[in-house]
Amino acid sequence: MDVELEEEHRLVEEAQRGNLDAMRPILERYASPLYGTVILPRLGDTVSAEDILRDTLATAVEKIGRFTWQGKSIYPWLRQIAINKVFDLHRQAKRSRRLADAMAHEIPVESDPASHADAQLMADQERRAHRDRIDDAMGQLQERYRVAIELRLIQELPREDCAKRLGVTIGTFDVLLFRAVRAFRKHFGERAPTIGET
Amino acid sequence: MARNDDDDILTSAVPEPDAEMTPSERAQAKTFAELVDKTLAGRTPPAMSTDDRALLEVATVIRVAHGGLELSAAKKRSLVEEALRRGIGGAASTTSGDVAAVTPIRSSRAKRWAPWVVASVSMGLAAAAVLVLWLRTPAHDQTAQAFSHDDDSLIGPIAREHSGDASARIDAIFADRLDGFRDRRLTVRTRGGKP
Repeated sequence: MDVELEEEHRLVEEAQRGNLDAMRPILERYASPLYGTVILPRLGDTVSAEDILRDTLATAVEKIGRFTWQGKSIYPWLRQIAINKVFDLHRQAKRSRRLADAMAHEIPVESDPASHADAQLMADQERRAHRDRIDDAMGQLQERYRVAIELRLIQELPREDCAKRLGVTIGTFDVLLFRAVRAFRKHFGERAPTIGET
Repeated sequence: MARNDDDDILTSAVPEPDAEMTPSERAQAKTFAELVDKTLAGRTPPAMSTDDRALLEVATVIRVAHGGLELSAAKKRSLVEEALRRGIGGAASTTSGDVAAVTPIRSSRAKRWAPWVVASVSMGLAAAAVLVLWLRTPAHDQTAQAFSHDDDSLIGPIAREHSGDASARIDAIFADRLDGFRDRRLTVRTRGGKP
């Protein structure tokens, strides 16, 4: 851990006294978990995710005076800012599709800061939960679709290699991957809780 | 081109892996495959169809779950620095707003009236100056009239009946110049200048 909890508390207090530069170590520590476990899995778009992360960090600096230290990390507070901004983006873009809702409302109970004393633990849990949901949806796919996704999107092999492994032409592999992603999207959206359920 | 259920790649049923592939599906699949190529190379094109974007988001969600997408150190640094700049800039503007809020109303009013007072005084002075000039104009005209040489025979056009009086005019000019010379000499002597 780069910044221990006591050090984090000291930096927060210093920032609240007006030295906003004290926020730098905190932001540097939590930028990656916010991006990789909170924002990007809910957006699926790297450019938008970077914009949201930038806005989240800037909002945290601007509103640090309103943060109340409760003996726990500032990470849940940052995470909640990020999630609110993701929601706002979904609303602005009118992304009412089920997948968007599924991504946005994923693991809502983990927003409760009282149940998480350690930021790293919280990020790890969220990452694991996201991975489990992806794996569950992958498990619903037909074998050839699952293999197509694993070869191309997870192992990131070139299309030619993927086609060879499956014993098809590149054109046929393209269609297989296309169908596989569509099928995954359907399963992922269907398994997601709706807004009312969260 | 009209869309039907078969064209709607987001809502229509997904065919089995061995189902027949239509030319339209092959074209869509190729477009998507090329988008995936570019995205994996870190060159996601900014413009694409809504359906392609939705599918590409799914692909990204899958990749990020398997650790395929991390924020680079350089990117993280630049985002943090930008956020701090924006945050500190916002705080500064808030502070200046607070200062403006506690400015006494009387002082603020005085500041507001100051330009009008300066403008009024300036206009009053300008009007007084114009009035003084207007009042002095008649005296100036009288003086000018007193020293006028309008009826001097040396000034103005020569009348036709005096066209033969050239020698008399030369004498008059000479006398006039002589008068001027004498005046100058006498004035200089009176003031103690050199002769």
